[in-house]
Amino acid sequence: MLLVKIAWKNIWRNKVRSFVVITAISLGLWAGVFGSAFVQGMMKSKVEDVIQTEMSHIQVHVPKFRDEYDGSLYMKNGAEVANAFRSEAAVEAVSERMISMGGLASSRKNGMIKLVGVNPDDEKKVSDIYTKVIEGSYFESTKKRPIVLSEKTAEEYGVKMNSKIIFKMLDVEGQMTDIAFKVVGIYNSGNPMYDKMTAFVKLDQMRQGYGIETGSNEIAVWLNDHNQSEAIADSFQENYSDLEVLPWLDLSPGMRMMIEAFDTYLFIIVGIILVALLFSIVNTMLMAVLERVREIGMLMAIGMTKNRVFKMIMYETVFMTMIGAPIGLLLSGLTVGYFGKNGIDLSGAAYETQGFGSTVFPYLDTESYINVTIMVLFMAILAAVYPALKALSLKPVEAIRKI
Amino acid sequence: MSVIQTNNLTKVYDEGPIPVHAVNHVTVNIEEGEFTAVVGPSGSGKTTLLNIVGGLDRPTSGSVKVDGVELSSMNESNLIKFRLEHIGFVFQSYNLIPVLTAKENTEFIMLLQGTPEKQRTERVMKLLDEVGIVEQADKRPSEMSGGQQQRVAVARALASRPKFVLADEPTANLDSKSAENLLDLMLKLNQEENVTFIFSTHDQRVIDRARRVITLEDGKIVKDEKR
Ligand SMILES: Nc1ncnc2c1ncn2[C@@H]1O[C@H](COP(=O)(O)OP(=O)(O)OP(=O)(O)O)[C@@H](O)[C@H]1O
Ligand SMILES: [Mg+2]
Repeated sequence: MLLVKIAWKNIWRNKVRSFVVITAISLGLWAGVFGSAFVQGMMKSKVEDVIQTEMSHIQVHVPKFRDEYDGSLYMKNGAEVANAFRSEAAVEAVSERMISMGGLASSRKNGMIKLVGVNPDDEKKVSDIYTKVIEGSYFESTKKRPIVLSEKTAEEYGVKMNSKIIFKMLDVEGQMTDIAFKVVGIYNSGNPMYDKMTAFVKLDQMRQGYGIETGSNEIAVWLNDHNQSEAIADSFQENYSDLEVLPWLDLSPGMRMMIEAFDTYLFIIVGIILVALLFSIVNTMLMAVLERVREIGMLMAIGMTKNRVFKMIMYETVFMTMIGAPIGLLLSGLTVGYFGKNGIDLSGAAYETQGFGSTVFPYLDTESYINVTIMVLFMAILAAVYPALKALSLKPVEAIRKI
Repeated sequence: MSVIQTNNLTKVYDEGPIPVHAVNHVTVNIEEGEFTAVVGPSGSGKTTLLNIVGGLDRPTSGSVKVDGVELSSMNESNLIKFRLEHIGFVFQSYNLIPVLTAKENTEFIMLLQGTPEKQRTERVMKLLDEVGIVEQADKRPSEMSGGQQQRVAVARALASRPKFVLADEPTANLDSKSAENLLDLMLKLNQEENVTFIFSTHDQRVIDRARRVITLEDGKIVKDEKR
């Protein structure tokens, strides 16, 4: 109790210095939390975008289909599998797809594209691509063979609304067929890579192209709660061992890599902040100790044990941490809350070309909040150890002699 | 009975080009109730001797016993405890904890010792009264004069009822009036409470009040007079 009291009073002896330490702790905590929230917010919106537009939560294929888009690898029982998902409470929507990787040809250009046959009403429930149509509509036309393609593709192939465009594909037997489509909608998803490769037609017409009546080679599933993706995928995988049922995170190796890369950034950001914090506290506390050499020497001379001297110095840092941390947390809560709602405009920073939104909404989950706080507190306390040990290494006689 | 007993006490500083015998074969006894001044020119070894006797420094050779207990055989933490329980210190300056009041500074030693609160408060008030600081009880060192601070230091030194009080030039930073007052206070405590004092000084008026004067030169006792 005595040490606590002295330590508390010692803090206020040099107000400027204590202010520096308290500010360092609160700013360090704030920077750690806000930096993490920024990165996590950026990550989260990217992930959400990709899930909403491209991947949905779970996809089902015949194994190996995704390697080469081999037309013979389709699920003849696609409708049955789709219904099995639909009967699951955790499942919100299911969309059957028939996909072909084939040639696209206009008078200007021949190229490859991934043409996705969809049932528009079902597809709207698992992908928000229909909201990104900027010209025409998402299959609301009465045209006989409608196609929805991206603005980029339209430019490259020199086609406009109502233009004709030819798709060359192999049917399930391996025979080449040509189908002529009319452009009824042009979209822009914001992700150039995706746009360049993807176009949509109606499911029935794609099945016709393959020469089949029923079946599908991709089933996209939307869940009520994306955190369930893995669990539901696993349970279906067990029931359908001849199929490949994958949650979104396993669908795209790039995604997983990106998430891991972001975790590394986060680690680095927080690491830099912690090291800066460590040095500023070590530095100021060391000054505080060296300035008091005589006083500490006197304390040890008259009978204060090293253990008590150590505790006294540690308490001083603990108190400053206890003042600085809540300030930092309050600041963090306010800024993350404000910008989480209003966003931070980064349109100048050219993140969009990498498929990131131009506005970042910082977000931090509770666990990371707690982790960052614990790390900062730990670092602050750790930073006090060296100066406190330094105080212990003083010899009372030498300190006293300086008097 | 001897409170302090040294036998061939020697301290050699070996750091420079020639070894310095700061204390050179000093054999001396200090009896309970004595009021002893250690005097001598600058560099004669007064501080070194007092530090060793107070358990703050270790001799190179020889022995020092306080109340029959050999100090040089004690380890660091036992020595700290020994100082806390048995020796009172008054330094030249930086005696007090700046953030604590006179009362709290006096209480400090007893808090370290774990004395119960009731006993503590009683003793603190009695001590502050004896050293004449009752009115300054709630002042911090920075709000007191040098003389008042030294009085508080004396009160603090006495708080643990030590075997003796060591004071290395306690008056060096005081004006002559305050110095005399402090000495009178120490003398009064010596006579009325039988507190054993051993202090070093350069000040003739302080020396005049001593009952025993030990004179050092080059680390050796050259004169030891009782009066
Ligand atoms: N840490 C040390 N290292 C080396 N020599 C030292 C050390 N401390 C003291 N000495 C030397 O020991 C001798 C005695 O010093 P000491 O401080 O005991 O003298 P003193 O009588 O107290 O002097 P003063 O009246 O100036 O306080 C001096 O020659 C001094 O230079
Ligand atoms: Mg000296």
